[in-house]
Amino acid sequence: MMPIWTKSGKKHAVTLLKVQDCHVLRYISKEESGGKTSKLLVGGKNASPFFKSESAMKIFKEAGVPRKQKVATFNVTDDAIIKPGTPLYAAHFRPGQFVDVTAKTIGKGFQGVMKRWGFKGQPASHGQTKTHRRPGAISTNKAAKVYRGKKMPGKMGNIYRTSFGLKVWRINTKHDIIYVNGSVPGHTNCLVKVRDSKLPTYKDCNKNPPFPTFFADGDEKLPEDLYDKEIFQFTDPSVTYA
Amino acid sequence: CRISSDGKPAKFQPPPKPVIIDRQKQREERRFLSPEFIPPRGRTDPLKFYIERKDMIQRRKVFNIPEFYVGSVLAVTTADPYANEKANRFVGICIQRGGKGLGATFVLRNVIEGQGVEICYELYSPRVQAIEVLKLEKRLDDNLMYLRDALPEYSTFDVNMKPVSHLDHEEIPVNKLQVRMKPKPWSKRWERPKYNIKGIKFELPEKKMKEAQKWSQPWLEFDMLREYDTSKIEEKIWKEVNEELKK
Repeated sequence: MMPIWTKSGKKHAVTLLKVQDCHVLRYISKEESGGKTSKLLVGGKNASPFFKSESAMKIFKEAGVPRKQKVATFNVTDDAIIKPGTPLYAAHFRPGQFVDVTAKTIGKGFQGVMKRWGFKGQPASHGQTKTHRRPGAISTNKAAKVYRGKKMPGKMGNIYRTSFGLKVWRINTKHDIIYVNGSVPGHTNCLVKVRDSKLPTYKDCNKNPPFPTFFADGDEKLPEDLYDKEIFQFTDPSVTYA
Repeated sequence: CRISSDGKPAKFQPPPKPVIIDRQKQREERRFLSPEFIPPRGRTDPLKFYIERKDMIQRRKVFNIPEFYVGSVLAVTTADPYANEKANRFVGICIQRGGKGLGATFVLRNVIEGQGVEICYELYSPRVQAIEVLKLEKRLDDNLMYLRDALPEYSTFDVNMKPVSHLDHEEIPVNKLQVRMKPKPWSKRWERPKYNIKGIKFELPEKKMKEAQKWSQPWLEFDMLREYDTSKIEEKIWKEVNEELKK
């Protein structure tokens, strides 16, 4: 995570996400998947092909791509279908866009009710016998049962969670890095799924994005760094208030 | 021919050999790498530090960040929308340098009209207009937070003080000042060995000093897992930073 300053002098914290060898793996049509839209399977970081069975390697062999560590599904409209095997780059996103980031949270193991659900527990002294971090009562007398989904101790973390509506501040096309506002679930160097935001406030935010994606061998030559217009770039002199 | 006091001619004294001071070599021997360039020990990708360093060097090309240490007196002018001239100047002694990378900070302390003031500035923030080093010197410690519990005379610095000149090739002077403290209680127990402070003149009784040594952890300096040898990393980064800055 890094600080970033705007032209008015405000500081924002930013997470760096690297797009490492992303390829489109397969196209699943609407009828095949049975959903409302067609799907595209996209694979992430390269990994060794020796520790998976032949059936699992079939998808990678058909696409002509080394085995990927993470495979994610994206719901796509019919005019945004990409041929399997095309590489995807960080320039697919542009500064000023809003993005949702999904990842597995840091696993905390088996945790008690105070850390897992934020219960208040009991006082440390004044006569409490062996009860300082316990949940207390779990149901009422009339219910005569414990409801499903009751908050109790258990395994915490290591589940998929999404942070919604994160602004993209800057894109580095040379190293394929996306600078995303705020924090992102997961530990450092973990694999993450980045998707256009589905929040209703940001529905009309993407103006002329690269559609269907940014092709590296196309005619467009992008500069090494793409900045949002609000960002203070370090090539400018210091900020002054008139 | 000179005649000595005896009357006999004096033995020939050859002229003293000229002492050659090689300024170039002396200048190169002293290398200063700002501490925020050294990456902390962790599992982060070195690519992140490389990208951050590029940004830091880019900022340094436009805005000069001078060399300074904890214990030097600095004057910082920042842009402030609510000030008279839209700029704010603060003079103080640097008591702490924290943070790595772009978020590096330093805390300046001064006593103005009897009130102690500490301001934490970010080195790479675009709001700082100028950083001048009024007095470049080092102290016996890396962290001068104990000045909060010292007598106020040790933290007062004149706001209009003139910069003390410092030649390039000279070594940075170490001020071996031992500071006198206000009576206890202090904000932290500075006599305990965990803070390892050499710059205080403790006027506590012998019994208290011996009791403070009870909290010493003599095995810490032999702990191999805590070792972080930065010499090679520093050299590489110093070369990289110098090459980029010369361009």
